[in-house]
Amino acid sequence: MSQPTTRVFVVDDDERVGCALTRLLRASGYHVECFDSPEAFLDRTDLASTPACLVLDLQMPGMTGLEVQHKLDQLLPIVFLTGHGDVVSSVDAMKAGAFDFLTKPVSESLMLAAIDRALKRACIEFAKRTQRAEIEERVNHLTRREREVMALVLTGRLNKQVASDLGAAEKTIKIHRARVMEKMKARSIVELVRLAEKAGVHAADDE
Amino acid sequence: MFAATFAKSTRSLNPVDQAPQPYWLNQRELGTEIPMINPIMQGRDRVIDVVTTSIAWFAQQRYFLQSFSPDIRAFLTSGATIRERHDSHSTTSTQVLLPSLHCDIGVSSMQATADPLEDPDSAPGWRGRVVTCVSWLLGGGRGTRRMLNARIPLREALEMMPVPIVTVDHRNQITFANARTIELFGYTREQLAGASAEMLFPIRGVGGDHLEVEERGDASQIAGVSTTQVLVARRRDGVGFPAETNTTKYTVHDQVLRIIAISDRSASQEVDRNRKELVHLARVSSLGELAGSLAHELKQPLTAILFNAQAAQKYMESETADKAELRGALEDIVTDNRRASEVIQKIRTLARKGDIELQPLDVGDVVRDIAVLVHSDALTRGVRTRFDISENLAMVWGDRVQLQQVVLNLLLNAFDAVKECAPAERVVETTVREEPDGGVRITVKDNGLGLTVDKMDKIFRAFFTTKLQGLGLGLSISRTIITGHGGRIWAENNNGKGASFHVTLPQGTGLRQGCGPQSP
Repeated sequence: MSQPTTRVFVVDDDERVGCALTRLLRASGYHVECFDSPEAFLDRTDLASTPACLVLDLQMPGMTGLEVQHKLDQLLPIVFLTGHGDVVSSVDAMKAGAFDFLTKPVSESLMLAAIDRALKRACIEFAKRTQRAEIEERVNHLTRREREVMALVLTGRLNKQVASDLGAAEKTIKIHRARVMEKMKARSIVELVRLAEKAGVHAADDE
Repeated sequence: MFAATFAKSTRSLNPVDQAPQPYWLNQRELGTEIPMINPIMQGRDRVIDVVTTSIAWFAQQRYFLQSFSPDIRAFLTSGATIRERHDSHSTTSTQVLLPSLHCDIGVSSMQATADPLEDPDSAPGWRGRVVTCVSWLLGGGRGTRRMLNARIPLREALEMMPVPIVTVDHRNQITFANARTIELFGYTREQLAGASAEMLFPIRGVGGDHLEVEERGDASQIAGVSTTQVLVARRRDGVGFPAETNTTKYTVHDQVLRIIAISDRSASQEVDRNRKELVHLARVSSLGELAGSLAHELKQPLTAILFNAQAAQKYMESETADKAELRGALEDIVTDNRRASEVIQKIRTLARKGDIELQPLDVGDVVRDIAVLVHSDALTRGVRTRFDISENLAMVWGDRVQLQQVVLNLLLNAFDAVKECAPAERVVETTVREEPDGGVRITVKDNGLGLTVDKMDKIFRAFFTTKLQGLGLGLSISRTIITGHGGRIWAENNNGKGASFHVTLPQGTGLRQGCGPQSP
């Protein structure tokens, strides 16, 4: 299986812990990037360019781990690594979608397993994201009229009905529909529906 | 240091506060209605009195009392300097001393001079008794004259004194020790006679001069001029105890004699020890507050060590062992180990129950040490801390641990003060600056709610606290410590939000070694 290169981001305000963790992860064969402040990490624009997960310290001066999690908005799976994980903050983190929550000092196998699982999830998410981006790209190439037609077709309406809805000739709608199928690279209506779902394009009456 | 403290406390004693009640109750129990005079005072006053009385006894062989110098008469009539001793031991000997006293006393004179502050029920007050004594000494009753004319040698007079007294000759040999001395030290009279005074006081006192005072000519031989020292005395069984000695020189037959009155200061040492315990207790309690975050402070280096060690293992296992990486990991393990040890050391230092150790200090270092310890606590509480510490600060004489305790206390208070603030506003700034006069100032500034006027007055008092789980001792002890260092601590509200606590410490050279935090 040809996997794209995965990355592990490490954010820990304690430079020495961050450095040691980076070293361990590198020795374990990961590509690691280490940041000593959440701000420096969030400034990076290429976070989504490869499948990646984040190992995040919970308590940091300035921005806390939970705030970083909020800002990232599920972009990356997050493995929290904290020195004083209380119940409240761990529950908060998990509710907000943390992938895992580990306390320092953590056993190597436990941590590496968590990172592996996080990366696996990241790969899936990344693939989905890539696909969605691709479909969105296709949707972007549709004209306004083609999008309108597609939205109605997705609800299962016939060409005739679409024509009457849009006040156009059925013939014209047919042409539009063929263009939609071509641009969306869909071979059947079923495939078009699936693609639209993946891209989050809604059928007309869903709105 | 004891001496200074003691002299101060003696002077500040209000006679009314002394509650003479137990003494008089004691008298009634003994079935004697005789108004006793107890010319025994505490500390300095006591010895002046003792010696003067002794001299009075001794001198009256040749002189009639009227010929006393105006000084002594003035002294005898000034009731304000006389202190009563509540000790029940003392009453027995004075009963012997002044058996015929009551018959010569004019009741009217007693009442005329009675202290208006005194409880009218409590028989004639102490001042009245002093007047009684004086009128007895100055009066001309037959009984009195008989008393005064009796030849009582100095030896016998001293023997009757209810305080341990020794006389020492110019070679520092003990010539005489009274019964109370024998009782106090446990030596026999024979053992004491002719022995060196160093047997009783083996170690030099804090004040510098030992009992072995060099002769400074006639000027120093004026009767009534006494010197007070705090020395370590040693009993026969080897047990040492702090003793205050009051030495008066007296010349008999061209021989200079030093009359030394001794008072056992063990009790005051215990007070001192209790105070130290309290300071320690408060310190440990502050550390307790920090316990959770201190654990985190240790976890950080331990985690780093673990990661590095595991990385090193992986390097070893891999075919292509990268020596540079391996070395890096091992070096970091060593560094982090040191870091963990330092944290433990800092905690241990603060928790330790040690004696006060005065040394030249860089206050900046003191604050930096505490900054390390509170780092995690600030993180957990979401408080941002800023430390702005000047370089090359003037050195200050002080006890590192005690000053750290003050800084820790101020910081923890500041963290509490900003607790209610919005997360972004929880800021505590600490600055350490040199003062224009060469001292050093520590300022801990929070932007909490600040202090109301009434709190401002009370915060430094013991047992005043605004916290649910506070002893109310932190600031009170901080003030004791800072005052002991010759410094000042105060609070003020900021122009904007919150309050600032300032501590100033005098520059090292201005502080004599030997004085300092031990004196309350």
